Amino acid sequence: MDSLNVTASAIISFTEKLEDRSSAFYEELADRWVDSKEAFLAFAKESKKNKTQVIRTYQETITDALEACFSFEGLDLRDYEIETALAKDASYVEALGIALELEETACAFYLDVADRSESLLATIPRAFRRVAKKRGKHKLELQSLRDKAAAGS
Amino acid sequence: MAVLEEPIKEVLNIKNFIDGEWAESEGQIKDIANPATGKVIARVPISTQDDIDAAVASAQEAFPDWRRTPPLARVRCLFRLKDLLEENFEELSRIQTMEHGKTIDESRGETRRGIEMVEVATGIPSLMMGSNLEDIASGIDEYLIRQPLGVFGIIGPFNFPFMVPLWFAPFAVATGNCIVVKPSSEDPISQVKIAELAEEAGIPPGVWNVVHGGRTVVSGMLNHPHIEGICFVGSTPVGRDVIYKGCGDTGKRVIVMCGAKNFALVMPDADLNRTIAACMTSFYGNTGQRCLANANLVVVGEGLSQEEYDAFYATVVDAFVSAASRIRIGYGLDDTVHMGPLRDAQKKEKVVKYIEKGIEQGATLRLDGRNVDLVGDLPDTCFVGPTVFEDVTLDMAIAREEIFGPVANMMKASSLDEAIAMIHRIPFGNAASIFTASGKWARQFQYDVECGNIGINVGIAAPMAFFPFSGMKDSFFGTLHGQGQEAIRFFTESKVVIQRWF
Repeated sequence: MDSLNVTASAIISFTEKLEDRSSAFYEELADRWVDSKEAFLAFAKESKKNKTQVIRTYQETITDALEACFSFEGLDLRDYEIETALAKDASYVEALGIALELEETACAFYLDVADRSESLLATIPRAFRRVAKKRGKHKLELQSLRDKAAAGS
Repeated sequence: MAVLEEPIKEVLNIKNFIDGEWAESEGQIKDIANPATGKVIARVPISTQDDIDAAVASAQEAFPDWRRTPPLARVRCLFRLKDLLEENFEELSRIQTMEHGKTIDESRGETRRGIEMVEVATGIPSLMMGSNLEDIASGIDEYLIRQPLGVFGIIGPFNFPFMVPLWFAPFAVATGNCIVVKPSSEDPISQVKIAELAEEAGIPPGVWNVVHGGRTVVSGMLNHPHIEGICFVGSTPVGRDVIYKGCGDTGKRVIVMCGAKNFALVMPDADLNRTIAACMTSFYGNTGQRCLANANLVVVGEGLSQEEYDAFYATVVDAFVSAASRIRIGYGLDDTVHMGPLRDAQKKEKVVKYIEKGIEQGATLRLDGRNVDLVGDLPDTCFVGPTVFEDVTLDMAIAREEIFGPVANMMKASSLDEAIAMIHRIPFGNAASIFTASGKWARQFQYDVECGNIGINVGIAAPMAFFPFSGMKDSFFGTLHGQGQEAIRFFTESKVVIQRWF
């Protein structure tokens, strides 16, 4: 795919996959580490909400009159592909490491697409920034969980 | 390649929607193929005079009750229709891509704008109010009321199969009229889906009818003594016949929105990155099959020396060609694609003939869309890529006539006055855009240009649902336009009451 010319629809499809993968990942973490179950389930729930909100914003914003198709000039989605598969014998700290990487990547993706859509669309960059902010908070919570785990071991 | 799931799995046998029922027609059946894949997705009837008579009779019968239904109750149906359109947003959008060819982003944009028409029409209880004044003479008051007229015909074009009939239908129905919609026989599925949802929303039988077909249905509507008015969107030659021959003879009120040949002016102070991005959507969006698409790009040298102007012209054209050559062409449900096919092979043939004519008449072909690289394994039957001509003059057919395809003409003007004069030498007056940082130039442009829709740093000057969709010269025939308050005036008769009580 030509990385310099990504359609709005491709961005939304990518967002859907990212949030679906995130919620599935956190649900798996919640199953495996019951002590942090509440936090992980909250993250999973938030991912579902993020997906709904971004799609709704896109569907309510996109219009035949806007320059929608060519909004994401210069973006390479491969920069934001992330592997969330968890090895069967992965430790809690390793899982938190993958989660942190996921949040960092997702946050960077949302900020990137927010910047690139700033000039043409009004509400979409705002929606992306809102999700980036939530992802940033996740990162802090995950770091705190990791610190606690390290202190306990 | 990431192709989204197709909502149409089996060939649809399309029927007319008359008096709240799905009715077979005795007319011939026409296949509807997906222009990207060539696969037949539906069969549509070419309806007969009997079908149109039945639809009009049903609408006439429904009118007295619907007219007496309080406006608030009428718009509750529209609120439900809006909710149903939102619930089915994605399916409706993918259907447009399958039947028309446009990209999924373009289809979703079309769905959104269609829904916006319904949203605005739900304001009818306020928007339809009349006016009054006490004591216009001693003890006498005067007031104006707006009343619906009866049955309206809506004739849709192929290029926006979902949205364009909605420029009129929600306003007609909300004001208490009944309608007969004739979708384009090339892509009628979207209007079938809307009728299904209108029925589900509780709009009573006979208020919203759909009759498929071609010329027989159109002339049946134009000549029908019980149709009060016609809304038509299509080509200028047919539009002339609609207003002067058809509706002129029968005295119907009309909104006739026709062809275009729109200009975009690029001034020396324009933000080039944003201008080129806007131009790509404007010139090549919907594969150029849009009455608001720009077709002629004029690089204006106002205030520049010849040397500076030559350099500026080269910069603009090089950037335009570079961006156009990076447009990915393929199936619109593949969301890596920027441009879909033309609606059918005849339309491709027409565009290719114009490209050949441009070469014959002396224009320089800078980017040739005839041999196109497609994303995915698709037949090239309906595809033409972005095309760019240079050295185009106003006497050439490619500069004057509506091609309705992805062909852009690069032109030169030494001043803004000269560029505006060029726009005025074309018979159309639908839209025009200027790209500039100068308020002075922008104001002169909007003040002087004889076009109905003006874009200032906007490539597609599409009015929102609460503004009229304007148009001038050979691009519009009639008095009142579609959308907004003008649509409400079109679909109602003003009655003035002068009262005195002894």
